[in-house]
Amino acid sequence: MFDVEKIRAEFPIFKRKVNGNNLVYFDSGATSQKPEAVIEAMNRYYRETNANIHRGVYEMSAESTRLVDEARADVAGFIGGRSEEVIFTRNTSESINLVAYAWGEENISKGDAVVITKLEHHSNMIPWQELCRRKEAELRVVEIDSQGRLVESCEKKIFEENGLKVVIGGWKELLDSKVKMVAFTGQSNVLGTIIPVEETVKTVRKLSPSSVILVDGAQMVPHMSVDVVKQGIDFLAFSGHKMCGPTGVGVLWGRKEILNKMKPFLFGGDMVGEVKLTGATWASLPSKFEAGTPDIAGIVGMGTAVNYLKRIGMDEIQKHEKSLLEYALEKMEGLENEGVVSLYGPKDEMRGGAVAFNVIGVHSHDTAQILDNYGVAVRSGQHCAAPLVESFGVTSMVRATFYLYNTKEEIDYMIRKILEVPKVFI
Amino acid sequence: MSDYKEVIIDHYKHPRNQGELAEADKVVEDTNSSCGDIIKIFVRMSEGRIVDMKWQGVGCAVSTAGASLLSEVVVGMTKSDLEDFGEEGVVKLLGGEITLGRMKCATLAYRGLLKAF
Repeated sequence: MFDVEKIRAEFPIFKRKVNGNNLVYFDSGATSQKPEAVIEAMNRYYRETNANIHRGVYEMSAESTRLVDEARADVAGFIGGRSEEVIFTRNTSESINLVAYAWGEENISKGDAVVITKLEHHSNMIPWQELCRRKEAELRVVEIDSQGRLVESCEKKIFEENGLKVVIGGWKELLDSKVKMVAFTGQSNVLGTIIPVEETVKTVRKLSPSSVILVDGAQMVPHMSVDVVKQGIDFLAFSGHKMCGPTGVGVLWGRKEILNKMKPFLFGGDMVGEVKLTGATWASLPSKFEAGTPDIAGIVGMGTAVNYLKRIGMDEIQKHEKSLLEYALEKMEGLENEGVVSLYGPKDEMRGGAVAFNVIGVHSHDTAQILDNYGVAVRSGQHCAAPLVESFGVTSMVRATFYLYNTKEEIDYMIRKILEVPKVFI
Repeated sequence: MSDYKEVIIDHYKHPRNQGELAEADKVVEDTNSSCGDIIKIFVRMSEGRIVDMKWQGVGCAVSTAGASLLSEVVVGMTKSDLEDFGEEGVVKLLGGEITLGRMKCATLAYRGLLKAF
């Protein structure tokens, strides 16, 4: 049974105080907290096993290699993929850059188009902007409605700046045979909008049959069960540190058939087969895309994190977050009706545990700082999604994001403290 | 703890030297990429010294007070005076204590003004 108090007891950070108050951590969208099991697994690795992988014939090196292999299998199982299709990177940004370079350089040419959405984090926007600029390809951006949901159809807008042609429209206007890559987020990091991946993939396959599909799973994989085969996607990028794992480890999952055709992204140690002074052949998957010594302790932590989440159950976690979101939205709508806050984001079921808002008349940084004085950690600013935030006619927003360890009592506490904010500034 | 000393709230609610400067010698803009705040600074100069400064922009309490307080002390300064004044000088104006997370807000106007030379 899902027991939030038991879960909280497994996260040492909740023992600390912030400005004399209990920590209310509502910034898991930026990075999640880590359970004792993950911290302990990484410590144990350094204390008892530390040795490089794929190198020595000695016992400890073999143990290290086995730990990394096991973590890879655990991560693959967590998303329904195969071990050799899981490439460890530093983070989601690096995973997407890997595709934008190693796949994009070979497969995008002048006149092609890449489709992204208005909801994207900069990490799933800038790599494609730069690829399209280099290749003189078109960047197409799926528009959102006033609640931050992607639109099926809308009037097309075209503009060109700094050598990049950008076309804005709905899915129907943007998907055609020129499209070679469709890269979209599974869940908006700002508004919590959930994109139905399977449904979207069906539409894309029908209208842009020769395109490759990448999902930015940074805000999806930590919060719901994911099956890449069922979803029918080609690439999935996500970060360990947003799902109870350590910083420094990200994942790119890719379909074997596509990864095999790609050239390496980074060159160097461990990614080679035969090496001569005049050149080299490449190792097989996944080593081909993992040059140099990886963050071994981090990978061990990542493997422990997915097992931890599996033990609690992704469906249980999603259900818990859903109940927190509904509770928070109800309370926040109360504040909206009283004229205290403005709320942003979907009002339907397709929303994950994120509440974006502003206290009316107060800058998001000022709101966040006052909340911090009471021990409430929320994010403020543009959330690495400037075009999205600005499309709501504001320069910044406050964002509270929930995870498995948050409670309704914490939401009540935040609501009470939000009421303190206008007293300071207005 | 709180950055909101009385001086910050005072200058936030009643910003000084806010507006445009007709016949400005230099108009510079700077942005804080973490929050999208933009400041526009108008300066009149004479022989390398600031004669007058006004500013416009949207911002939080800390960046607004930072611009307002700075505009009161910079008349007569050269570039090297301003550099000597430093970000520490801005923090002092703001009451002496700004958390690391708000330093970009506090020094937005200062960084912009340096570009006017």
